[in-house]
Amino acid sequence: MAVESDVMEAAGPYDRARALSAFKLGDITFYWITRACAISVLLILGGIIISLIVGAWPAMREYGAAFLWTQRWAPSADPPVLGALGPIYGTLITSVIAMMIAIPVGLGIAVFLTEICPLWLRRPIGLAVELLAGIPSIIYGMWGFFVLGPFLANTFQPFMISIFDGVPVLGAIFAGPPSYLSLFNASLILAIMVLPFITSISVDVFKTVPPVLKEAAYGVGCTTWEVVRNVVIPYTRVGVIGGIMLALGRALGETMAVTFIIGNSFKIQSSIFAPGTTISAAIASEFAESDGLHQSGLILLGLLLFVLTFFVLAAARLMLMRLEKKAGN
Amino acid sequence: MTDLSVSVSSASGPAPQVPLPEAAPKVTARGLNFYYGEHHALKNINLTLGTNRVTAFIGPSGCGKSTLLRIFNRMYDLYPGQRATGQLLLDQTNILDPKLDLNLLRARVGMVFQKPTPFPMTIYENIAFGIRLYEKISKSEMDGRVEKALRGGALWNEVKDKLNASGLSLSGGQQQRLCIARTVAVRPEVILFDEPCSALDPISTAKIEELIQELAEDYTIAIVTHNMQQAARVSDKTAFMYLGELIEFDDTNKIFTSPSDRRTQDYITGRFG
Repeated sequence: MAVESDVMEAAGPYDRARALSAFKLGDITFYWITRACAISVLLILGGIIISLIVGAWPAMREYGAAFLWTQRWAPSADPPVLGALGPIYGTLITSVIAMMIAIPVGLGIAVFLTEICPLWLRRPIGLAVELLAGIPSIIYGMWGFFVLGPFLANTFQPFMISIFDGVPVLGAIFAGPPSYLSLFNASLILAIMVLPFITSISVDVFKTVPPVLKEAAYGVGCTTWEVVRNVVIPYTRVGVIGGIMLALGRALGETMAVTFIIGNSFKIQSSIFAPGTTISAAIASEFAESDGLHQSGLILLGLLLFVLTFFVLAAARLMLMRLEKKAGN
Repeated sequence: MTDLSVSVSSASGPAPQVPLPEAAPKVTARGLNFYYGEHHALKNINLTLGTNRVTAFIGPSGCGKSTLLRIFNRMYDLYPGQRATGQLLLDQTNILDPKLDLNLLRARVGMVFQKPTPFPMTIYENIAFGIRLYEKISKSEMDGRVEKALRGGALWNEVKDKLNASGLSLSGGQQQRLCIARTVAVRPEVILFDEPCSALDPISTAKIEELIQELAEDYTIAIVTHNMQQAARVSDKTAFMYLGELIEFDDTNKIFTSPSDRRTQDYITGRFG
């Protein structure tokens, strides 16, 4: 035994140093692997921006800033006339209408699930919302085409016209011949698609409100609505806005479902029941058959979408900072 | 600061014991029982909180003192599966009446919690918020009410120059006094304190104890505490609870000098709990 322990002692410090140096090597490798992963994100982002700019360069040189406010899109004219106003308008309008529908409904579901819903109903509704997020976008497109489109054109639009006909601005918004393919159809589908983002993120952040804070609000005599309005939402503001921005980002860029049901018309019409197009729908439907200046124009559209999304995210950050300042510190 | 080191025995002192004169009953419990689902948490509680008296609830953890407090403003109603039976009156109002307007009840019975719970808004708004729920008043009138409430919470001098700072920017003790001010601002009749000092340092604790005694001039107060010196210092009456039962309820002086129940004696002398 004594001999053995001597050997152990002699071996001990030496082995330990070697083991440590092995760990050190592992540490260094680990450091470089994680670093490379992080840097690769920057490289990919930079690469995409550069290749977009390179691809869009011919169109930029040809049309300049006028590309932004030209409505005409005639790629087969000679020379081709390309303007992005129609797709930009369609992208913004569909996203705005989608968010106007999805934000109240999504927050409403989240408030119901966390504050009001009886326990036995919580799981089914929560599950349904999660499944909604799992439906592939092409299926939403088909559903919008075969079900929602006919309903909107045959029932909903005539109803809106009957109410608002003759009213100055609203009349024009709902007027026009019925069409299965329309901006409003795309907006509704987008609203349904982004709903799960808003709801599931809001539910998660609503759950982080300390129960004692809610009890304190109930304790001064608040109703459930007042607690939600004055305590739960201000407390979770950052998370809720994050969820909304994620949803908006998806709405701006969503392609497949929208291409199916928006009608791909570059003409801007006042009616939301008229066909239109979005940036991503225009690219998806034309890119395969394009070449030369036309293709370059489409890439420029893609670059615009990129910039648009970037500005939306930046605006969201700015808004959050403002809100935080207003709330004190 | 010396009163912080007052021990149980010196708080009672050798002074002759004169029973407190009876106060008009504010809250009356008769045969009150409480259940968490199947668990019978409070058993047949009978007691009366006297008007403008401070009543302390002491007892080991899990004895039901916080539970009892949460019945007084029906806070338990927020959670399914919790229910109370028996009779509980606030003046002549039956607190347990299922048709009772809970928002009005909670305006009459305010509550201060174990941890400070400022709302995520400015100091001014923290106070004005509660007032606005019940009254529509002008801006200048509101300013007056906010100042009065903050003075009532002994916080005015510390925050008068930063009313627009976030309530969360205050220290723990200041936050707790903000919560007391917020409770007072609604003009309740009863204020419930659920271990209001357990998260605070000794100096903040002393300030809040002083405040509680001042508040007793205008309000009926119930306080749950784990600190027996605190109960001895601030309360007129003390209730000792054990395993969901009210073991003894008497003048604080009597409880801490000559308790009539063996278990009370064991608890206040530190033999268990």
